[in-house]
Amino acid sequence: MQDKDKTRRKVLIGLTSAVGLSGLPFAATPFIAAWNPSAKAKAAGAAVKLDVSKMQYGQQIQVSWRKQPVFIIRHTKESLASLDNSLSKLADPNSDLISEPYKGLYPTRSKSSEYSVMSGVCTHLGCAPKYFPEIEPKPWDATWSGGFFCPCHGSMFDIVGRVFKGVPAPTNLVIPPHMFEGSILTIGEDKEL
Amino acid sequence: MKERAGKLFSWLNTRLPIINTFERHLSKHPVPSKVNFWYLFGALASVTLIIQIVSGIWLIMPYSNTEEEAFSSIEYIMRDVDYGWVIRYIHTTGASMFFAVVYLHMFRGLLYGSYQKPKELVWIFGCTIYLAMMAEGFLGYVLPYGQMSYWGAQVIISLFGAIPYIGESLELWVRGDYYISGITVSRFFALHVVALPLVLIALVFLHLVALHEVGAGNPEGVDIEEFVDDDGVPLDSVPFFPYKVLNALVGIGVFMTVFAIIMFFFPEGGGYFIEMANFQKANPLVTPDHIAPVWYYAPFFTMLRAVPDPLGGLIVMAAAVAIFFVVPWLDRSKVASIRYKGIYSKIALTLFGVSFLTLGYLGTVGVTEVRKIMSVICTVIYFAYFLLMPIYTKYETTKEVPKRL
Amino acid sequence: MTNKSINLYFCNAFLILALSFFFNSLYAAEGGPCKDYGECDKFKYSLNDIESLQRGAATYINYCYGCHSLKFSRWGRVAEDLQIPEDIFFESLVFDKSIKPGDLMVGAMPEDSVNWFGVAPPDLTLVSRYKGDDWIYSYLRAYYEDSSKQYGVNNLVYPGTAMPNVLLSLQGNQRLICKDIAVIAENGGEKRDEYGNTITKEKCGFLEVEDGTGELTKKEFDTLIYDLTNFLVYVGEPIKATRERIGWYVVFYFLIFTALSSLLYREYHKDYN
Repeated sequence: MQDKDKTRRKVLIGLTSAVGLSGLPFAATPFIAAWNPSAKAKAAGAAVKLDVSKMQYGQQIQVSWRKQPVFIIRHTKESLASLDNSLSKLADPNSDLISEPYKGLYPTRSKSSEYSVMSGVCTHLGCAPKYFPEIEPKPWDATWSGGFFCPCHGSMFDIVGRVFKGVPAPTNLVIPPHMFEGSILTIGEDKEL
Repeated sequence: MKERAGKLFSWLNTRLPIINTFERHLSKHPVPSKVNFWYLFGALASVTLIIQIVSGIWLIMPYSNTEEEAFSSIEYIMRDVDYGWVIRYIHTTGASMFFAVVYLHMFRGLLYGSYQKPKELVWIFGCTIYLAMMAEGFLGYVLPYGQMSYWGAQVIISLFGAIPYIGESLELWVRGDYYISGITVSRFFALHVVALPLVLIALVFLHLVALHEVGAGNPEGVDIEEFVDDDGVPLDSVPFFPYKVLNALVGIGVFMTVFAIIMFFFPEGGGYFIEMANFQKANPLVTPDHIAPVWYYAPFFTMLRAVPDPLGGLIVMAAAVAIFFVVPWLDRSKVASIRYKGIYSKIALTLFGVSFLTLGYLGTVGVTEVRKIMSVICTVIYFAYFLLMPIYTKYETTKEVPKRL
Repeated sequence: MTNKSINLYFCNAFLILALSFFFNSLYAAEGGPCKDYGECDKFKYSLNDIESLQRGAATYINYCYGCHSLKFSRWGRVAEDLQIPEDIFFESLVFDKSIKPGDLMVGAMPEDSVNWFGVAPPDLTLVSRYKGDDWIYSYLRAYYEDSSKQYGVNNLVYPGTAMPNVLLSLQGNQRLICKDIAVIAENGGEKRDEYGNTITKEKCGFLEVEDGTGELTKKEFDTLIYDLTNFLVYVGEPIKATRERIGWYVVFYFLIFTALSSLLYREYHKDYN
């Protein structure tokens, strides 16, 4: 076989394989994309709206967004003021380890000076932590000053969801995107974000 | 690096014969050096089978097999699932393409005598695949639970009712309900996605094993095994890789182009691939104005209609498929290929092809007096092709077959 | 017969039948889906004409949605595909303010609507796919006055239709009339009598709108129905325009692939020739 033919063959092999292989990602796209949340799942997971003006001070309520618990707390002025008292117990008081959407805005970590809005999913293995607002000794902490305790593996968070040192959970509770229009809270959507 | 890989392969090969098998059945497998495009449809059928299996698996995920949800889950796939429409259209187009390719593949068999000794088993496995495909296609068509799904299934299941004595109870047993309900749909679903695909894959495997044992044919009908070189490789053969693979690649390219044109521009195939009435949810109380089978069953549907009695129709229809199985013993010709057969065989095959296509056409249109007569004539020609084969193949003058390709 | 000619023969036979299949699908003659109207008017969709789709959507929501749901379609998807900003869309076209973009267009009809019309108004998401666009386009323009019917109207395309003509005020009173039509001679021209006058014959079944009874002219009304039908084609398969666009790329890709692989095959083919 002549060299010319050999090169021609090589070029053709290269071109054909290149064209053939370049089609693969496109052929795979529908099959990969079909596993994304469908329009139905997205509609079911759309933002939820609720009026929070009726909440008592110190009250915590749980709403479901995308079938996951979201905690909303209306803090008293006193409890917000005493947030700094337990600073030494916290692993990441300024939320530097996670991407925090409303960092440095309010001590509540939310878009409101009064309400906290946080995902009720423990950052350890996904259990739902329980809210214990009272300041009293607890079996898991003799100097408890209010916050969340996870019954699964004993992780502790303060009342704005910041994680304690020396517990299994590695990071603070996640803050979902949200916004306030007056007293109407929308969870799952933030027009400014 | 290369040495190590070689070592690994030889380690593997002494324990699991992958390299031997690969070389024997793929890379070095000798195939006739001169074949034409008719010999591509087998490869294309395998490609389509893979396409159907992959797209089918992805359709199972969002599909719902209940009476309430089945129809709307199809629209869910078409609208709400990302690229769900691509996957569904691949599957619907693939079904029609599968039948098109298999019909051409079967016609190749008749054209070049691919069933003749020693290929009887290859042919029989092939016919069984076709039978399984017909069942698979029918079951799949019921799943969207549209009007055509319902009424098509109604007609087919009613055929069971034509069987004497047990007919009616058999019908009820197949449906598991007094009409084609969610119960029927979910059992058809299980058969469509698990049982029959397993059967199909097993049959395709057997079809290929048997084929590789006796060797692929060629349009000349020459036995290439007669002249071999010192290594026992037939002189008129080329290795499967790269020659046959590259040949198939061109075929696949053309095939996929046609596939894409249908899928992206004519997914309903003018109502022949996805019938219009199937965009309406099944309604057991209202029959659509015009029930036509999907095109690939149309010839048999016409035969069914050509016989006034349901049981007779059922027998004729079953016989029309069953008769393919005995073709190896009907052909008494000394030669395999139509190229060397006599004029009678050529006329018979042409008439058969034309009558088969006419039957197909008649199945998709309404009945008139003329069409009724035509369908009877075509059914007679269809059967005459097979039943007279022992006579016309034996008594015609054939041409001398060359020794080499 | 040589091998070549026999192959050609088969190909021809196959082609002829394939063609007859094709033409049959175009001119399915059995009675015709448009019934008394005769041949349906041909409709050519234009899914890239976003403005037409927007007008069609508005007409649908204002005149049809009250009775006919589009239950497989989502509000937000329609707004997005029709390039209407979501706030404007919800402001002007969605009357129920509790509706969210992801909601299905399940309709505004109470459950007992069957009693009003004798049949429940069907969902129309897929009407363009099971009836066809030609049919819709003809049907909506084929209403005529018929005092024997419950709503005083009948339809040539769908005789005895249960649906009243909700677009009557726009179209005006359409009547079924008879006309004198010139008789066509065998040579194709008009037939004339010995004095040179055209021979006419009365034929019936023509639709004519009474002048000045509708808000729209015939042309405007046809455009309105065109847009509405176009929208229904879109809703029947929202991905259709995208599908056809992607199709060109895919077909182009496989053509290139075929060309290259056939060049490669020819190259290797030389080895054993």
